[in-house]
Amino acid sequence: MDNKETNYVSCVIYVHNAADRVEDFLSFIIRVMEENFLHSEIICVNDASEDDSLSAMKKAAEKAVLTSVSVVNMSWFHGLELAMNAGTDLAIGDFVFEFDSTCADFPPETIMEVYRRSLEGYDIVSASPDVKEKFSSHLFYRIFDRYSTLSTRMTTERFRVLSRRVINRISSMNKSVLYRKALYAASGLKTDNLRYRPVRSAASSTMDANEKNYRSGLAVDSLILFTNVGYRFSMTMTLVMMLISVFVLAYTLITYFTSHPVEGWTTTILFLSVSFFGLFAILTIIIKYLQLLIDMIFKRRRYSFESIEKLTK
Amino acid sequence: MALERFDKIIIGAGLYGLYSALFCCKRGQHVLVLECDPAPFERATTINQARVHQGYHYPRSLSTALKSAGYFERFCRDYHFCVNQSFEQIYATSAAYSWTDGKQFKAFCDAAGIPCTELHPGRYFKPGMCDGAFLTREYTYDAAILRDHLLEDLSPYRSSVTILYNSMIREIQSLPDGFVLSFEEAGPGSAGKRAASAPFVLNAAYAGVNQVLRLAGFPPFPIKYELCEIILCETGDALRSTGITVMDGPFFSIMPYGKTGLHSLTSVTRTPHEDCHETLPVFSCQNRSGGRCSPESLYNCSLCPAKPESAYPYMSHLARKYMRDEYDFRYKESLYSMKPILTSSEIDDSRPTVIRRNGPGGSFVSVLSGKINTVYDLDEVLE
Repeated sequence: MDNKETNYVSCVIYVHNAADRVEDFLSFIIRVMEENFLHSEIICVNDASEDDSLSAMKKAAEKAVLTSVSVVNMSWFHGLELAMNAGTDLAIGDFVFEFDSTCADFPPETIMEVYRRSLEGYDIVSASPDVKEKFSSHLFYRIFDRYSTLSTRMTTERFRVLSRRVINRISSMNKSVLYRKALYAASGLKTDNLRYRPVRSAASSTMDANEKNYRSGLAVDSLILFTNVGYRFSMTMTLVMMLISVFVLAYTLITYFTSHPVEGWTTTILFLSVSFFGLFAILTIIIKYLQLLIDMIFKRRRYSFESIEKLTK
Repeated sequence: MALERFDKIIIGAGLYGLYSALFCCKRGQHVLVLECDPAPFERATTINQARVHQGYHYPRSLSTALKSAGYFERFCRDYHFCVNQSFEQIYATSAAYSWTDGKQFKAFCDAAGIPCTELHPGRYFKPGMCDGAFLTREYTYDAAILRDHLLEDLSPYRSSVTILYNSMIREIQSLPDGFVLSFEEAGPGSAGKRAASAPFVLNAAYAGVNQVLRLAGFPPFPIKYELCEIILCETGDALRSTGITVMDGPFFSIMPYGKTGLHSLTSVTRTPHEDCHETLPVFSCQNRSGGRCSPESLYNCSLCPAKPESAYPYMSHLARKYMRDEYDFRYKESLYSMKPILTSSEIDDSRPTVIRRNGPGGSFVSVLSGKINTVYDLDEVLE
């Protein structure tokens, strides 16, 4: 009893059509919070669930003695990112846990390990199951890491803890957060990832069609917004087009001098190859402009530092 | 059992009760005030945010705002000695979860004709937390000074005003020409069961209003009850002469508590610890009160052994999440009181004064108001 942590912690849990598991999950979180923390709150973000999730949460919340449980009901389906923002905005804790799903494949100790790691000075500590990533996730994170300038390697995360520092920094960066993980990484504060051995295999998929659609859309948006993959792609295409143009130019001239093509063929081909090259060049410039606009709007802070160290007395 | 006769009987020695007593005895009437606590001003009059409202609190009800703005000037004039005017009252609108944003709040103040100067939110709040901060003209009153003043004003009329403390009303009888109240004095030297009659009764028992109505056999007010906690804090220098209210949503207030040198801290979600939607107040803590408190007779929550544990950990974190770190404060003590809220006022957040007349000729008057400066609403009833 006396060894409980005195920091105020908040838990934000994403709930969407999870009536079959949310009661167990919430009870589990309530137990961990009450056993380890003197003061805590739990915020369930109910993202327009159409099943009995709400009543299941109410049932679990009845068992809470020390902690307080509240639910934010979203007006319509918002998707994970916006819904979790709504929950984190409401949270008041010194540390905020974000549970992106109601899938409890981690043992209770993992929550405390992640928390203690954050006390060591890591502003963002996440926990990932020590299993092979899904192929689509793997591909996404590979592309993301390859084309973004962030130093952090991204991976599938089950939950994470954020310090109040990082939340304050994010809120001064921008208001419309498309993809939290990228933004947390972009906060420039110390980050760590812990891997745990899953206590049970996670259900193959806890997502419904709505969530799946949302996630694939989110993947594309995130890649466009947080990496320069669009610009790099068009740049490559322009270079390829330039090479092709040069080749076609040479081919046309050779053909013009060696054989006698039909009248007008030479000019048509010359015109076509040059204008295609020009078109791609213009597109690249436009994409560069868009990229700059995005950078200016979404990454307004000019720099982001991790800490300031005083080396001399 | 002797039956004493009065012109008026007033139930409750809070501001509304003592104001009425003074009002009547100045007109030469013979008045009895019955109070269940051992002293006046022991409950809601003292245990609240002590705000002298000027309407800022009701951005979704212009009529309530206009009315409280009107009484504000009068209250500050009549009771200036107990009103703390020497601090800056800041109202702010939270960037997230507020029902009102900075622009709407400004427009509302302009429409209600109450002063409101826009400030830079970054001066008080952490980056991104608030989208508007306004310097307003709102004061807080000191209940202890107000109480002593009223008692002093009443002292020349000792022959016409009787205030009986520790008096529990047991029975209210309706007669064709008035009412008979039987009550019992508790404590040492008590005269036991007594009775008094008057052609006019004022029920100013606030949270006990329905309990009195029940004894008299009249229909109750449509109210719900909230068991509220007001936290008193000591502050650092930055906050000493500043009051901050982040409004219209699940937010908080921290502002000078009258002239005590302390600040009161409250939050919308945690100041009410428990609520009750019954006609009479039914609370789980009543079982633990050792028989002191029941749905028929509320005990003083601040003195009760069953009072809830303080919500200071939550409220202090909420305030610190918003306010810049230099606005420092420390826990001093918690006060608890029962607050009745008219259920019809939940949607538009208005808190009108409700006056209801029952009995022959409407001479059993019950009053319920959530604000201190609408006490003047009583004048028309007492004339």
